[in-house]
Amino acid sequence: MTALWQLTKLETKMFFRDKLQVFWTFLFPVLMIWLFGSMFKNESMGGFNFASLYVPSWIGVNIVTTAFFTLGTVLSGYRETGVLRRYQSTPLAPWKILFAHTIQGTVIFAFSAVVLVVFGMLVFDLHMPEYLGSTVLALLVSIISFFPFALFLTSLAKNVGTAAAISSLFLNLMLFLSGATFPLEMMPEVLQYVAKVLPLYYVIELLRATWNTSPIWENMTSVYVLLGISIVSVVLSSKFFRWSGKDE
Amino acid sequence: MEEVISVKALSKNYGPKKAVNNLSFSVKKGEIFGIIGPNGAGKTTTIEIMEGLRKKSSGEVSVLGMDPEQDRKKLNGKIGVQFQATSIQKKMKVKEALSLFSAIYNQKSSGDHMLKLLGLEDKMDTYFDDLSGGQKQRLTLALATLHQPEIVFLDEPSMGLDPHARREMWNIIRALRDEGTTIVVTTHYMEEAEKLCDRVAMIYNGELRALDEPARLVEDVSAHYVSFRSPDFPLDELRALPGIVKVEQDMEADAYKIYTENLQETSFHLFKNAQEGSYHIADFKFERGTLDDLFVHYLEGGQTA
Repeated sequence: MTALWQLTKLETKMFFRDKLQVFWTFLFPVLMIWLFGSMFKNESMGGFNFASLYVPSWIGVNIVTTAFFTLGTVLSGYRETGVLRRYQSTPLAPWKILFAHTIQGTVIFAFSAVVLVVFGMLVFDLHMPEYLGSTVLALLVSIISFFPFALFLTSLAKNVGTAAAISSLFLNLMLFLSGATFPLEMMPEVLQYVAKVLPLYYVIELLRATWNTSPIWENMTSVYVLLGISIVSVVLSSKFFRWSGKDE
Repeated sequence: MEEVISVKALSKNYGPKKAVNNLSFSVKKGEIFGIIGPNGAGKTTTIEIMEGLRKKSSGEVSVLGMDPEQDRKKLNGKIGVQFQATSIQKKMKVKEALSLFSAIYNQKSSGDHMLKLLGLEDKMDTYFDDLSGGQKQRLTLALATLHQPEIVFLDEPSMGLDPHARREMWNIIRALRDEGTTIVVTTHYMEEAEKLCDRVAMIYNGELRALDEPARLVEDVSAHYVSFRSPDFPLDELRALPGIVKVEQDMEADAYKIYTENLQETSFHLFKNAQEGSYHIADFKFERGTLDDLFVHYLEGGQTA
């Protein structure tokens, strides 16, 4: 078996051995949808049913969770404990390590998205996306955008504690200010502008749109913003990402 | 014998701090070469420059005829590295780590031979985090050697091990050496350097202080002395013995260490005086200096012997 495949498989297995990660990635979003659902499920939200807005939003939130915690924080831990440095003294190419983690993150995210969709369908009458192809593309664009973004931000941290703090900060900020949990229309005007600075806002716009109203090519502004974030993050990561916590 | 590593005038600066300063030595094929010194002496920096993980500031380093900085990728297949810190994912099982590293090194079997040698057969399903200190070290050593590298670099392999586990570790390292592998090991345990290494480089403050076989280094130490206990031998009479260099007295235990230029002559007079003066002598021993003594000697004196 190739090293790349081995590493991807092992990292995925190890994710499921970490009970806390499994809780925050799989159970927590389900609990939140259930909680909000029990409050809002009978209210019509601009003509849409509750689940068709909230499930796509939480799928978006899970991209953030996977990017910041499953990838960013874990890799910061590996940097701190010397796991990444250990690979450096082997013939394993550095890109393969990042690629393995990217695949692992994508697989875990995809799995969590399926869980949310099934839950939404069973409990809150969720319908399948109106533009399924567009939704899948939107998810890919979001992943391409958020994974490097999170890797860059967490690589600024000296240790895993700081990385987790950075991740929590971003997750919470975006959770409450990007329209995922509380409708932006309910918020003061200032905060509505703040929301548009946060990348998750565009993920959620894109996912909600392709799920309910319009295909991806009618929402290219969000796509361009996300791809822009991706390019900037990749450039910054390649400059600042370190394999070791120590000086060279 | 063939040289596999050559280090010439190596220096490494971190800002204004000189971690390694003008270090030169060479390692021969098939020997256990020790880099010894106190914590912070520059041992890890030196070994990591040889592994290609750190960049040198100046000097020349050649490992298996390659420049570790330029040819790291090529070199990585031929060397094995064990790190000081535990560097395996906590939730990775022993067998998973072995199969991952076998895949990385493109090995067919996952090092069954090594595994038996290391005695981890019954720990295959244990998480790395749940292994004892000795088992962790043995696993990381197995991972460093399963591709049968020509040189193995070990950074403090017996750190935190109990005496039994340490001895086992030494036996494994010696077995590797006997198979023809060259081993470079850092340690701050002088006992380890003396018993394990064929040759040692002693460094302090990033500078080379001594380089030789441990036994020869110890020979050179002016720390040959006799020790004994006596409740009644007069101190001034001791100091007047022929050949005496220095007398150290431990009042509480009535113990003495006497340093002399001639152990035999001084001992003869010690016993003669004792017999004539009816003094009691117990626990008499010829003591040989150890690397520990040499170490302390350099730390205190700061000059070469």
